[in-house]
Amino acid sequence: MTGSREENQAFENIAGYVLNSLDSDAEREEVEELISTDSVAQREHREMNETAGLLALGVKPLAPPARLRTSILDQTRFDAVDSTTEPSVSPITRFVQSGFAASAVAAVLVLVVAGTFGVQNSRLNNEVGQLRTELNSELQAVSALREELESSKTDSMEMVNQMESEMKKMESDFGSTLAQVSHQEQMVSELSVANNALVEALRDQSWLTYVAMKEGYQIESWLANQQAPSDASGLIAVRVVGNEAVFQVHGLEQPLPGHAYTLWLIGNGDPNPVAQFTVSEIGSATVSFLLPAPLYLYSSAAVTQEPIGKVDHDPSGITVLSAQTN
Amino acid sequence: MNYQGLQDLELLELVGEKDREALAELYDRYGRRVFALAARMLNDSVSSEEVTQDVFMSVWRRGGTYASNKGKFTTWLFSIAHNRTIDELRKRKRDRSRQNDDIDDHLNIESGDMSPADAAVAQSEYAKVREAMEDLPTEQKQVIELSYFKGLTQTEIAEKTDQPLGTVKTRMRLALKKLRNSLSTEMGAQV
Repeated sequence: MTGSREENQAFENIAGYVLNSLDSDAEREEVEELISTDSVAQREHREMNETAGLLALGVKPLAPPARLRTSILDQTRFDAVDSTTEPSVSPITRFVQSGFAASAVAAVLVLVVAGTFGVQNSRLNNEVGQLRTELNSELQAVSALREELESSKTDSMEMVNQMESEMKKMESDFGSTLAQVSHQEQMVSELSVANNALVEALRDQSWLTYVAMKEGYQIESWLANQQAPSDASGLIAVRVVGNEAVFQVHGLEQPLPGHAYTLWLIGNGDPNPVAQFTVSEIGSATVSFLLPAPLYLYSSAAVTQEPIGKVDHDPSGITVLSAQTN
Repeated sequence: MNYQGLQDLELLELVGEKDREALAELYDRYGRRVFALAARMLNDSVSSEEVTQDVFMSVWRRGGTYASNKGKFTTWLFSIAHNRTIDELRKRKRDRSRQNDDIDDHLNIESGDMSPADAAVAQSEYAKVREAMEDLPTEQKQVIELSYFKGLTQTEIAEKTDQPLGTVKTRMRLALKKLRNSLSTEMGAQV
């Protein structure tokens, strides 16, 4: 070695070598050559290398993602498989190992292997770069997808909320509609009852008119409730020849239990019961009876409720219909 | 086997016998350190994970060939980590596809699953090394920062600091020597 070690370029580069900041492979090779031959340089290298290693402790520890540990251990499993696979020995290799022209072939192999490694290294670098680019693209795609999903999720939540609101409104409307339908059904039922009553009344009226025309009856008296407003009404028709008469009534309420309606003809203050009858569901009845005396001998007619089969000489119940006879 | 009770070199010997549990123990001891160094230099979590994985795979493959006369295990480990990270940094410069912005060095210590004792040791080591760095003259400290943590070559440092190349080399050498003196006092047997 020429000059002092301090002036030796390779010795000066030991610091740069351990810090991996030398500019060229030639400089690195010079340092490695020096270290391999000079004990002082070896000690200098060891001390500086250890000091450089401590610089890593000047960075605060940072926990890597937990998956990294698993990933490394998984990779060792595959690596172990690779390393346990013994490479097959080719005839060429055996030829080379035989020692025949060993040095020449070895030199060629070194060049070939070095070239192959160089090509492979370059190819691997390219592949790693390409993979990194692809990974970045995928990360961006994942990020975009995540944003889309978040947006879709928000839209979906809004739609769900809107649908819930509409369903609640529909439920409320349906409840109202149900009540309306129920009310309408009740009205229809009542209308049906009223219609039946009307049909029956018309049938009775028609029958009475028919009878009156056919049999020569004459309507003599219209009865109504004289004491309180009521829908009830009645009439008495008398045959022109003979003592046959017909009494028809509408709109009477159902009599009390054990009671029936009684038709009275009253003459000279003396009531005379001529018929006892019940009414249909709509309060109608048509009763044929024989006049005890000509109708003109009676001044009025009345309808009261009396116990069934126990009609006295005088009305005991309230008068629900009455009229003067003509 | 109680791996936690084994020394680093004992674990490394088991790694040489392809004992995965031994590698797992070494990872548990130094994974945070390696990852932190890569993250400090690369400022990129994904790349730092790649570097950390490569480093421990190197330990897995080369553990059996490690000779203790080469120095401490951690020196060897951090040397692998540093060189691998430098390679990544310089590849980025070539690709110019990524930008390595200056980063804040004052990352918080991630305790993770570290025991309080380990966290205390880590904090102590960190404080001593940072103190030794702060004690360096500004020019020497700058050279260490640019070479070790930024991955610049000596020529690049000379251009960046507008100093002669020889001056950079001298400052680099003096800085390491001064650091060694400081840390041998502070950390005793470690250096």
